[in-house]
Amino acid sequence: MSSSIGSGTDMAGEVGLPVSQILLVTGFCLILIGLAGIFVHRNILRIIIGFSLIDTGIHVVMVATGYVTGGTAPIIDAALDKANAATNAVDPIPSALVVTAIVIGFSVTAIMLSFAIRLYDARKTLDIDAFTESKW
Amino acid sequence: MVEALLHPLNIFLFGLGGSFLIPLLYRIAKPLSAVIFVLALAGIFAVSGACLWAVYHGQPVLESFTAGSAPPYSINLRVGPWEGVCAFSVNVVALLAAWHLWDRLRQNYAAQLLFLLLIMGVNGMVMTRDLFNLFVFLEIVSIATYGLLGFDGTPAAFAAGFKYILATVLASTFFLLGTALLYHATGTLNIDDMIVHRATIAGPIGTTALLLVLSCLIIELKPFPANGWGLDVYQSASSGVAALVSGAVSAGVFFALFKLLPLFENYLILIAVSGGITFLFSNLAGLRQTNVQRMLGYSSIAQMGLLTLALALIRHLGADASMPLVVGGLFVNHLLAKAGLFFLAGAVNRPQVDDWSALAGRPLIMLIFAILLVAIAGLPPFPGFWSKWELVIRVAAAGHFGWIAVILIGSLLEIAYMFRWFKQATRTVEQGAIAVSPGRLLPAGLCAVFLCVSGYVAANLSGAASLWIFAPLVAGAFLCLFDWLPGRLKSMLMLILVLLLGMWIVGPVEGISRLFAVLLLSGGLVIASASFYRADPRLGYYPLMALLLLSIAALLRTTTSLEFFFSWEMITLSSYFLIAQARNAHPYALPFLLFSIASAFCLLAGFAMAAAANGTIDLAAFGAAGKDAWPAFVLLAVGFLIKAGAAGVHIWLPGAYAEADDDLSAMLSAVVSKVAIFGLFSVTYLAIRSEIGLDMAHVMGWVGLLTTLLGAAMALQQTDMKRMLAYSSMSQLGYIVTAIALMSHLGWVTAFYLVANHLMVKGILFLAGAGVILRTGTRLLEENGGLVRNMPFTFAAVATALISMSGLPPLAGFGGKWLLLSAMVEKGWYGLAALAVLATFVGFLYMFRLAYAVFLGERKARFEAIAEAPLALLVPQYVLIIAIFALTFFPKLFMEPVSAAIDPAFASTLVWDGMSLETIYGYWNPIPVMAITVAIAAVLFFVVWLRYIYGYRRAPTTGVTVFYAFYQPGLSRLLRPVAIAFWRGISDLTLSVAGSVRQIYTGDGQTYCLYVLWYVIAIYVTGTLIR
Repeated sequence: MSSSIGSGTDMAGEVGLPVSQILLVTGFCLILIGLAGIFVHRNILRIIIGFSLIDTGIHVVMVATGYVTGGTAPIIDAALDKANAATNAVDPIPSALVVTAIVIGFSVTAIMLSFAIRLYDARKTLDIDAFTESKW
Repeated sequence: MVEALLHPLNIFLFGLGGSFLIPLLYRIAKPLSAVIFVLALAGIFAVSGACLWAVYHGQPVLESFTAGSAPPYSINLRVGPWEGVCAFSVNVVALLAAWHLWDRLRQNYAAQLLFLLLIMGVNGMVMTRDLFNLFVFLEIVSIATYGLLGFDGTPAAFAAGFKYILATVLASTFFLLGTALLYHATGTLNIDDMIVHRATIAGPIGTTALLLVLSCLIIELKPFPANGWGLDVYQSASSGVAALVSGAVSAGVFFALFKLLPLFENYLILIAVSGGITFLFSNLAGLRQTNVQRMLGYSSIAQMGLLTLALALIRHLGADASMPLVVGGLFVNHLLAKAGLFFLAGAVNRPQVDDWSALAGRPLIMLIFAILLVAIAGLPPFPGFWSKWELVIRVAAAGHFGWIAVILIGSLLEIAYMFRWFKQATRTVEQGAIAVSPGRLLPAGLCAVFLCVSGYVAANLSGAASLWIFAPLVAGAFLCLFDWLPGRLKSMLMLILVLLLGMWIVGPVEGISRLFAVLLLSGGLVIASASFYRADPRLGYYPLMALLLLSIAALLRTTTSLEFFFSWEMITLSSYFLIAQARNAHPYALPFLLFSIASAFCLLAGFAMAAAANGTIDLAAFGAAGKDAWPAFVLLAVGFLIKAGAAGVHIWLPGAYAEADDDLSAMLSAVVSKVAIFGLFSVTYLAIRSEIGLDMAHVMGWVGLLTTLLGAAMALQQTDMKRMLAYSSMSQLGYIVTAIALMSHLGWVTAFYLVANHLMVKGILFLAGAGVILRTGTRLLEENGGLVRNMPFTFAAVATALISMSGLPPLAGFGGKWLLLSAMVEKGWYGLAALAVLATFVGFLYMFRLAYAVFLGERKARFEAIAEAPLALLVPQYVLIIAIFALTFFPKLFMEPVSAAIDPAFASTLVWDGMSLETIYGYWNPIPVMAITVAIAAVLFFVVWLRYIYGYRRAPTTGVTVFYAFYQPGLSRLLRPVAIAFWRGISDLTLSVAGSVRQIYTGDGQTYCLYVLWYVIAIYVTGTLIR
């Protein structure tokens, strides 16, 4: 069931890298960019964008882990019989997880944005430094 | 039909269905949504209750499959005993929280919806066996929490909520990544499958995945220092929501950790260390809190740390049989107590700790408050107590003593700030007491009731539950029901109850314990009967007194160290609450409690080490303890010495004795202090059996006599009658400690003789003091004077008691002191004997001063018309005088049973060479010993007198007061308050460290996120290193 990160028997294109690896690198880069965004910016909206980037990066990584190089869509029909499903098809479970994760990420982002609106109403600023009244 | 309705999956039907219906019905008719909310919540509660019932009655684990296929191709949910208890108790708290939040929930359908989703999500986290499903439920809980946090409306709540979101979203991101990678490594999302194939989780990807999941769970439990976001929410959220976050949400996350623990076998120590650091530092920083909810937040976080620590350690030690008691007990204890405290904080509605004095004069609120505090502090009879005991015993058995220190120091810190809060509530200030409607009080009250029930269950689990050990509590609760009766009637009821139950409890007791039982029970009853002199209702006094006296009786019957420790803690708690009732006692009650708890924790550690060395918690095994039991003896001796008020650790004593109610002081000094002596008696076997112990006994002898000397010198300095008596009590206990330390037959007979003598003498003196204070209204020695004509009977009693205490012939004290000196000479402890003579001399000085200042000297004009003390005070004094005379003139009546009881305690190898008591009396001629003592004392007195005349250059007729005043400055130069300065230094140091620690919580959301990231990295790095 598990896939093959980097088991590149079938090379994807001229570059010589399987698409799953490109996706993985992209995903982790997105995560890092998101993290940097969270810690570099003081503006709450930018921080929220940072979180969205991390989320997206993780979704890309998840999809990449399910990829089987050269595999087809995991639909059992004339083109793919049951016997070969495990080896020739992309693992559908990570994709299914990603769909759920996207929904969750969406709602979390929505809640964060609604908090941002309320915070702006309270202090007329979106600078995170303005919200340190409870401490110690 | 009913069975179908109670299927575990219906929890989600109720949760999701209710959530969909609520907005819909709100559009149709507003009240309908509330009806649906209540029905759905009650449904969740009922289903989880039914599941627990089924599992409890032997049904196998309830498995629910979904999607028409078997796992791992579908999600399955499970309700076993663990899941059942966890889900049910969370749902109980959820119902109480809904009641507490009802005003807010009723008007806001969105809040109802979120509340329902949160509870359903926690149930899901508890039941699911699928890792990704766990993530989904975690997110449902989180999102619902975010929503509820947003309903509080204040800017501070929004800011805190936003920080909470930032940190938890970051953590759950790691969980998601970890889950995906774990699926990649194992090819399954089913937790059971994963556990079976955990060997495949290896290599960089597997390890990373595992550590990511682990760090998310730990972060969600708010570990120190990555927990500022949690603290801010506890502080600024409404009390009901804070209770949910602290109870329900943490419960879900903790259960997830519990469920996944087999995957983390390699990281158990890492988890335990994380928990230990959190427990220690959160309680440390908690010391500086002034906001009630933030303080409770620190406590919540600390308790989660303790739970994590306990879980990981117990699993690490392989003591899975203790898991239900330790982890289950701590879990239920924290859930109920913390939720209850949050509910109470909301009902009382005083955000600052200092404002809780508004509770004064509200006995019901105080009762609930006290129960919740005692429970959260891990004191008996609540589940936390039994769990901590079991945890400490298990850890000690494995030899990990450092962990015991972490657990006990953290607990002590927590008790310090929790009871400082209680101290505010016992402060009487002139302001209107608050009004709390019974409905608002109900959730906290029910939490208290459930704690009592679960305490009994936990006691059963630990195998210590028996009728007699709970009899004191039952008697106290029974008297509580009749607390509306007039004071004297309650006193009568209490005395009868204590007499009957006490005799029943100590019925089967034998040996030394029997002697103590007879002495302490009868002495306690006589002194307690003095309470007839007060006619006021004294709310709570009589139930607590019954609890105190019967706990002492129970202590004497105990056969295991667990029972001993339980009764010991009950004595501590009941005396603390009794002292705290006095009007001016609140500054002194807290040090009393803290030193008592420190003493108790020394005992706990000592008992645990003894149990590890002996292999059993039977007290009888102490007699056969091996040589390696000496550290246990040291800890136990230190514990008992703290409680006996030994020099250096005595500073709790004078204030508590002086400020307690006048008749209570008599009880504390005469009866309760003897409990520590009994403890010393029962554990010195340990020292006897191990070779090193006898040297330590010598040290103990010195400690005892230094205490005597210091106590006497301090007593001489006092201007307050009760403080003088308090120091005198400390001084006399020093003699007894020395006598026990002699470790010889003679020494022990002496110790017991002194115990009896001191009980009677101090009982008389404190009660006489109560009479004087009642009549003259002042405790100051110099303000009284010449009362002998007004109060002849009191004076006679005091004079008798003083003669007996000072050791002058012919009364009982003479025999005691002679025996002590003889025993010391027999043992060759000449230095100590000399010290004893010096102490005797100082004793003479202060005792004479007491009698002179109060009864002789010049009578003040305003005291001309005052009457003799009331009969209720005189009768107990004269009963005690009769006892002194009996002890004096018929010593054999007393000595023979004592000697007989002590004999079996000493094996033939010991110092005692088998002489009968008669032989000793014949062998040791009392006349020369005492003659020398009295002569030395006389010479010393002469020297002091000469020095006074010389220094003052006036005739010696100036009066006794001036004589004492002359020596006062010199004495106070000699007796600098070193002990007080030392302990104040310790306290200041702790507080300043606490102040520095909490500086890391800057309030900045970004900084908190950074802490979270660092924490994850730290776990990752240490996790990969220790692998």
